[in-house]
Amino acid sequence: MELNTFGAILGFAIEWEKRAAAFYEAGARNRPLSLFLELAQEARRRLRRLEQARQEGVAEMILEPIHGLDGEAYRLDFSPETEEAVLLQQARRLEETAARFYQDAASRMPIREVARLLQGLAQENVKRRERLDIGALTR
Amino acid sequence: MEYGTLRNYIGGAWVPSSSAEALEVHNPATGEVIARVPLSTPEEVHRAVAAAKEAFPEWRETPPAVRARYMFRLKALMEEHFEELARTVTTEHGKILDEARGEVRRAIENVEVAAGIPSLLMGYNAEDVASGIDEECVLQPLGVFCCVAPFNFPAMVPFWFLPYAVACGNTYIVKPSEVCPISQNRLFELLEAAEFPPGVVNLVNGSKGVVDALLSHPDVVGVSFVGSTPVGRYIYATAAAHGKRAQCQAGAKNALVVLPDAPLGPTVSAILTSAFGTAGQRCLAGALVLAVGEVYEPLKERLVEAASRLKVGNGLDETVQMGPVVSRKALERIHGYIEKGLEEGAVLLLDGRKVRVEGYPGGYFIGPTLFDRVRPEMTIAREEIFGPVLGLIPVADFEEALRIIEDLPYGNAASLFTSSGRYAREFKYRVRCGNIGINIGIAAPVATFPFAGMKRSFFGDLHGQGRDAIQFFTDRKVVITRWF
Repeated sequence: MELNTFGAILGFAIEWEKRAAAFYEAGARNRPLSLFLELAQEARRRLRRLEQARQEGVAEMILEPIHGLDGEAYRLDFSPETEEAVLLQQARRLEETAARFYQDAASRMPIREVARLLQGLAQENVKRRERLDIGALTR
Repeated sequence: MEYGTLRNYIGGAWVPSSSAEALEVHNPATGEVIARVPLSTPEEVHRAVAAAKEAFPEWRETPPAVRARYMFRLKALMEEHFEELARTVTTEHGKILDEARGEVRRAIENVEVAAGIPSLLMGYNAEDVASGIDEECVLQPLGVFCCVAPFNFPAMVPFWFLPYAVACGNTYIVKPSEVCPISQNRLFELLEAAEFPPGVVNLVNGSKGVVDALLSHPDVVGVSFVGSTPVGRYIYATAAAHGKRAQCQAGAKNALVVLPDAPLGPTVSAILTSAFGTAGQRCLAGALVLAVGEVYEPLKERLVEAASRLKVGNGLDETVQMGPVVSRKALERIHGYIEKGLEEGAVLLLDGRKVRVEGYPGGYFIGPTLFDRVRPEMTIAREEIFGPVLGLIPVADFEEALRIIEDLPYGNAASLFTSSGRYAREFKYRVRCGNIGINIGIAAPVATFPFAGMKRSFFGDLHGQGRDAIQFFTDRKVVITRWF
């Protein structure tokens, strides 16, 4: 799926955060994974920021076509129905892929405030990835 | 039918029209009927005017700070229903979701600006204009205003006027476009939810009969209009004949001048958005590209390549970059102009008539269309097509480009793409158009600025939005005081 409009990029990001939140929430279910719950809550907050950006950041004057961003490049299947080690591996890949997507999207976004948001989310993903290394499955 | 038969909002209540006449409203992406809009009667207009007139005295006495709070409530409701409003615009008009979101955003921005009415409505005074005499100027509302809205921005355009009119203390009647009336009807549900007192805001669906009844009604003090030049001229003349204020934004034929020093990548992107955004159905749409000197060949090549890649389809699909035009009639009119262009000798580089959108056989689709070797005297270079048809005119130099713009009957917008400050200054200084873009394809003024227009693109003096709107919707009263 080519992400060739402002709405397509933000729609993809919103769906991503929904899936990420659901993944972390399900991963934490029946397991005392406090970090996963934190990451899920953060994903919900990120989701709201993206929805707000889609609503408030749209500037009709500069809704120019966007090229070179394909959703397929960030396709990632993750399932919380697995053992903890694999779960952690999936979470790391999720954060790495998200960081890559937000970075790529920020560089193509013509609306500066929204580009800044995407850039910020990419940086958050890098830190989230680090937190998974440090205190991933602390109980 | 998804939305059923639309009703009028008069005196704080939704009332079905008594008219037996109605028009179908179509989803332009599918061709399906999605609503019926009644052609309301003059009696219904009279009832709306009576309700607005009755509401006026109490509303004008409501402190501006209190009136501002209605604006805050309205803004909150519009934010809450933002996506739904955008989807409604796309469904009835066809423009892509991003464009619909941009439209709803700009409607909200006007509500935000109007919420500043306690400051905007302040007059001015001077002490001692003569010995012991002071003078002040106050701004006062006038009464019942109305607007006649176009189809191309069905949510936004009435909000160039209504928030300001009402914030100033006037009462208001909207006649939405009969082609795209649904968004405005939905916005009136939000106005109702914001609990404006009955009669302060009213909506009467219909067509020319409603317009004529409003224009000839003695209790209507002013009208705002956005639409074509012939209708704008008619409304301006009729309103003036009946002693009303009028501001009529009319047609356009906007030129985009590209100098050889313009960076081609962003310039081409901006031209595409200008010419093909909202399927060319903007009064700010770029219709002619005046390519100066050696930029002509590379610009042509890049435009064809980029325009042919635009994805056409149902605007509700986020990956679509251009939606259908609003109606079958519009589609046929645009096809007619393409035929005319060919007859008059223009060269068709990209023929949008060939576009087919899979899964939407009944949609009113036409792809980006690009004519080359257009000459300024051709019909397609002079008349407003209001569709995704762009004409490319090679010109020798900057001065020739300016002459072509000056000779156009319209003066809505013009843009220059350049890296030269000197040419940019010359352009904005000399070009007789109301909205000038420098490296901007769609020179759309934000809510704090007037939406200007010159020549046959505007009839009147004060424009919509910003300070102009406050002036239009108020009278200045000068009070000179001496105390014995």
